[in-house]
Amino acid sequence: MAKDMEQLYGERLKRYVTAMRNEKPDMVPIRPFVAEFTAKYAGYTCQEVTHDYEKAFAAARKCAADFDWDAVVSNMVYVWTGLTEAIGTKYYAVPGIHIPPNIGFQYLEPAEEEAFMKADEYDALTEDPTGFLYNVWLPRVSSDVRAMGQETSFRNNLSFLKGGMAMLSYFSAFGVQNERLRKESGTVSAIAGILKAPFDIIADKLRGYLGLVTDVLERPKKVLAACEALMPHLLHVALSGADPDKNVPIGFWMHRGCVPFVSMEHFEKFFWPTLKPIIEELWKRGHQVLFYAEGNWNAHLNAFGGLPDGAIVYHVDQADIFEAHKAIGQKFCLSGGIPNVLLSYGTADEVRAECKRVIDGVAGDGGYIMDASAIVQDDAKVENIRAMTEFTREYGVY
Amino acid sequence: MVEMRETKRKPGVCIPWEEKLEELPEITGDKELVKKVWEDVDALGYVYIWQCLLSF
Repeated sequence: MAKDMEQLYGERLKRYVTAMRNEKPDMVPIRPFVAEFTAKYAGYTCQEVTHDYEKAFAAARKCAADFDWDAVVSNMVYVWTGLTEAIGTKYYAVPGIHIPPNIGFQYLEPAEEEAFMKADEYDALTEDPTGFLYNVWLPRVSSDVRAMGQETSFRNNLSFLKGGMAMLSYFSAFGVQNERLRKESGTVSAIAGILKAPFDIIADKLRGYLGLVTDVLERPKKVLAACEALMPHLLHVALSGADPDKNVPIGFWMHRGCVPFVSMEHFEKFFWPTLKPIIEELWKRGHQVLFYAEGNWNAHLNAFGGLPDGAIVYHVDQADIFEAHKAIGQKFCLSGGIPNVLLSYGTADEVRAECKRVIDGVAGDGGYIMDASAIVQDDAKVENIRAMTEFTREYGVY
Repeated sequence: MVEMRETKRKPGVCIPWEEKLEELPEITGDKELVKKVWEDVDALGYVYIWQCLLSF
């Protein structure tokens, strides 16, 4: 039995990697980014899979065992709120605590005037990003961590100890989870490592979106300098978590750096010039990056097309996947494109028809991975996920 | 295209070995061992804050 699983794992890994290299595998790989859907399927609440990572892992394994998927993210409900609560993180609404137990966790962006980084702090961030994060940012985002000069506290001291131990515990558990996925269901762990764009992370966690779009007009040189200072650190973090075998890509989560959140001019001035060298360096070292293009990034396909052939896997969310295929399909593997609204409100026949349309339109020469448009939450119907899976297996054979 | 900017603390480092070395008495044993273990454990502190920023 163990040998069969190893053989299955090998076949799936080959299929998945072949498609990601924009080549033609034996069949269209299936790699759904299933998050709270796993809880629904396995019989857990959102609170359980968000706050107890062992239940999240168990739910992911159950889905992997029951559906014929080539690869999954080991835990797509990635934010373990047991850890964030231990360190007093302020920017989450946690299921079962701040929101009902069957609602997925939410990010809370503070009001512009309460941003975690002030407009006049760019120089401090640029000079010493790591020091700034520890000394300025962390005390602001944590209810327990005291700022420099403030009286310390029992809870301040415990925050670092508990946070560090919890993070070690969580990250160590991924190794076990990946092995269990491999041995129990022959499933590949879909990504390794994390990347965010310098521009995006300033909006997400430091200045907030409104603060940043003001800053690009009022202090553009300081924004650019901060992005440049973040670049080597974000590259380092991406490399430190990347797949040592260089099979699976680094996950790159794209947020609000695209039109219309920012203008094309600002994309070209801030977002892209401070991201592209990171992608090129990763590729130079043999690591693909999975562009998880949340929303619609088709206005920037021309820019992405300037990357070396095969450097990225491009995931399509709400954008037109056929337009993306036409623009960059010769250079990069695409994934996604099956609308989440269809998976939630459509019929199984409608899902099958959409899968056929996407496979016919973009998968003819390989270089396509079946997936929903966005991360699959608990509103998706089980029968529709099953229809997406089974149809792709039957129809997506080369 | 822009260049990556050097920062006060290099990627992967919170407290550089050179800074720690100045605080230590003369190392009579294996200096490289002390350096390696210092840097390996120091890197965990780096992982902590950057993962807090990026992942959590």
